[in-house]
Amino acid sequence: MKKKMTNILDRIFKKPLYRVFLFLLGLPTFLVSFIVYCARKSSYAKTDKTSEIRARILAELEKSGEKQALYNETRMFLENKRAFFKKESGDFEKNVQREFEKELNKLVERRLQEDEEYKKNYRPITLLGVMKDLLQNNAFLVFSIITSLPMYLLLLIYSNPYAKYIFERLVMMIFVLFGVVFLVFTILYMSPMDPAVNILGQTATQEQIVEFNRVYGLDQPYIVRLFEAFKGLVTLDMGRSYAGNEVVMEAISRKFPVTLQVTFASLAVALILAIPSGIISAVKPYSTFDYVFMLIALLGLSIPNFWLGLVLILNFSINLHWLPATYSATDWTTLIMPAIVLGTALSASVARMTRSSMLEVINQDYITTAKAKGLSSKRVILKHALGNAMIPIVTVVGLQFGGMLGGSAVTEKVFNINGIGSYIVDKQFIPDIPVVLTGVVYVSVVISLANLVVDILYAFLDPRIKSKMKNY
Amino acid sequence: MNNNSNASYLKRERKRKLSRFTEYKSATFATGITFAIFLVILFGAFDFATQSFNMGTVSASLIYLVSTVIQALLTFKIKSDILKKGEVSSATRKLGFIMLLFVLTANIFIAIAAFNLIKKDKGIEYNLAIYSVLTSFTVMMISLLNLFKEYVANTFMLGMGVLAGLTIFYAVVMLLIHKFVHGKNVDKHMKPIGYLLIVSAISGNVFALLLGLVIITKIKHAGDEISVEWIEVLRRLFRNNMAIIGMFVVTVLLSISLCSYLTFDYSIATDNNYSALLLEPSLEYPFGTDDYGRCVFTRIVFGARISLAVGIATTVVPIIIGGVLGAISGFYGGKSDNIIMRLLDVLYAVPGILLAIAIVAAFGTSTFNLIMALSIGSIPTYARTVRASVLGLANSEFVEAAKACGAKDHIIIFKHIIPNSLAPIIVRATLSIGGAVLSTSSLSYLGLGVEPHVPEWGNILKAGSTYLETNPYLAIYPGLAIILLVLAFNYMGDGLRDALDPKLK
Repeated sequence: MKKKMTNILDRIFKKPLYRVFLFLLGLPTFLVSFIVYCARKSSYAKTDKTSEIRARILAELEKSGEKQALYNETRMFLENKRAFFKKESGDFEKNVQREFEKELNKLVERRLQEDEEYKKNYRPITLLGVMKDLLQNNAFLVFSIITSLPMYLLLLIYSNPYAKYIFERLVMMIFVLFGVVFLVFTILYMSPMDPAVNILGQTATQEQIVEFNRVYGLDQPYIVRLFEAFKGLVTLDMGRSYAGNEVVMEAISRKFPVTLQVTFASLAVALILAIPSGIISAVKPYSTFDYVFMLIALLGLSIPNFWLGLVLILNFSINLHWLPATYSATDWTTLIMPAIVLGTALSASVARMTRSSMLEVINQDYITTAKAKGLSSKRVILKHALGNAMIPIVTVVGLQFGGMLGGSAVTEKVFNINGIGSYIVDKQFIPDIPVVLTGVVYVSVVISLANLVVDILYAFLDPRIKSKMKNY
Repeated sequence: MNNNSNASYLKRERKRKLSRFTEYKSATFATGITFAIFLVILFGAFDFATQSFNMGTVSASLIYLVSTVIQALLTFKIKSDILKKGEVSSATRKLGFIMLLFVLTANIFIAIAAFNLIKKDKGIEYNLAIYSVLTSFTVMMISLLNLFKEYVANTFMLGMGVLAGLTIFYAVVMLLIHKFVHGKNVDKHMKPIGYLLIVSAISGNVFALLLGLVIITKIKHAGDEISVEWIEVLRRLFRNNMAIIGMFVVTVLLSISLCSYLTFDYSIATDNNYSALLLEPSLEYPFGTDDYGRCVFTRIVFGARISLAVGIATTVVPIIIGGVLGAISGFYGGKSDNIIMRLLDVLYAVPGILLAIAIVAAFGTSTFNLIMALSIGSIPTYARTVRASVLGLANSEFVEAAKACGAKDHIIIFKHIIPNSLAPIIVRATLSIGGAVLSTSSLSYLGLGVEPHVPEWGNILKAGSTYLETNPYLAIYPGLAIILLVLAFNYMGDGLRDALDPKLK
């Protein structure tokens, strides 16, 4: 157990960024180790006999004639070099002397490392070595675990490749989120539009505008407001919206489930339509079915969402009165049209991807082998081909899922859905900075998490990635 | 059993024999498409509200039914020719001249099949010439619709004259190609014609431009054994029917948006006309008029200009920025790679359309802001594409050789790496122009695109969508225009990907 821990410590110490984290999380342990380290270092300096051992090795070399041999070898090498290049650079004898000394030093250092006496007495003292020594002591170990538990959690995470991978991705995500806040805030800050005038109206007096700006902190300089935004990200409190003065986090967490519901509905529609049709197209390529389906798929990619929404409303709501035109949370039939509209583009790209990656797999040797073994074609297609063709499909679904969360703003406007997209668009014109900022960050978080899930799914789907992960 | 397998073998053999003849392939394609158009028009003629057929539209669809039957008969004749004699007889080829007349029913597919039938050995030049003629002819026909208007643009006659002249010129070029171009050998006297063709591409005719370039390149490389690479790619592209139709649609739209400076009157698209509010589609107003009495058809024609410009600009700008960043980070690796890619990760985390919404809302609606907003969002994708291909190339042997020869970094990047990593970028660019057109119209629909008075397709659609219950065609036609353009770009991109695929070489 202890051995394993010191092993992980060795590995983790080689990564600079992790080292910083380790110092921060295990400060007490490192403090104690550092004191011991300093003490040992000073006592070490007093008993240093390295130079004596070096002199002894040099004498041994002289005695065995190795020194002379080395000199001759160096000289011969340089002479050959001079003869080949037919060029003289500086004094030849001096060059030989310099080169020889360099080689000699190297040899002595090598011998020093092998020397029995040196090995026994003089191990180089490092902070890590001292700490590992100390941790062998159980009392110190207990003290260390109590005082710097987070460090051990980090070690634990590091010991498991999956946990380490997820941890690294999450840390990266936090940095990205700060970047997103900076980017979006800066864009909105540079906007020439004035929220105070847009909310209070053109007739607002100067005092009203000043008061509004004071209440919402709009009179502060850029740096202060940016810092406020960062603080909001850390404390998960993004303040209140300018229009309506509601708590932004509450409003967003009320609207987000609606968007999520629509997205999942369309995802279901897309997967049910796309994967079977993609498989059939790949199994019978260049057939009429294939041509027709791929034509429809490309058509689906080319139709603007809002236009499809309008056409559906025109036919099924206005002309035929089958489905209601506007969304309401209590009536599931209102979800059908938005799901179809959002699902069209998604199923188009998923079907195309399914077809092309299935086609690639279906011509592989192992599929021929499986067929030759006498497996039923259903089994070959579903187990051997589809399983291996799954990775690009999962990628596309993951990417599109993220895109849909952000891009559904237009569809939400068409069907009058009270989701996050239309919320952001509505507040955009003010510009209501807290709302837009929070909305964008919220969507980014969900997209990053979706990507993370996709990447982890890879490991389960693809044995090659799985084995790579073990050595991560 | 034996009999059965023999029959299936014969069937396959027949198929293989037929597929060698482009005459047969394009004839079957034209038959199928014409029949599909007939069905679409017939479907459009049915009025769901009153459960009855619109007789005018039905008669239009019948023309297509007749065309389908005639084309099918011709296809059958070609098939029996091939199977019996192993080639298409010259009598059948003469029938192609009659089939050319079907271009008057706006059926370019039969016209293409007829052109393919007329000439026996068809080089890439002949194909390009066909599409050049058809492009300028189609643009001329669309512009002719202006004759039904109360007044036309001052330069209308000039524009029509230029278009007619170009059509005749391309037809003459087609004859010259028949006489002077045989496979790889192009007569030297064709050179001035090549330059004239390139100049004529000002009208937006991409096919003419390519034709001119092909002729000049072939004359330049007259004695060479190896064929020029991009001409090979072009040839492979022309094997794909749908890709070429897509390219044709894009070229026609490009050409009409350039020619509209002469043949269309901008005031019809933007000036209010209170005597013609919300009219139904007619010959004078093919797509009807909107709530200000503006001709929707003319607005869509002018909208093509903006949609194409925004679509192309929002693809070119991120390619340049993202390409440079990706090339730097892929070539140098290490710290610069890390910094650039981590910064781009921030951009990548925000959905493109949300970022565009934020930027446009912050800086106001204008075409420039829109282009910038849409460009910034797609920088990371291009940077990643370029980085991936540069990473692969940076370790390749020819780059090592260049380094060993002492080539400077910028020479290696611009001369060796960028040309070799171009193919995936071209494909991605063509496919993403369609996406950019969609995003533009989506933003316009939200009121965040170009200024509301500008005739952009999204704007026209937004204005039309308020009259969905009473005048649905106001929203349907601009939507169809968007679909047509995006579909064309998507087919072109698909075709380019297949044509550039090194596996097929």
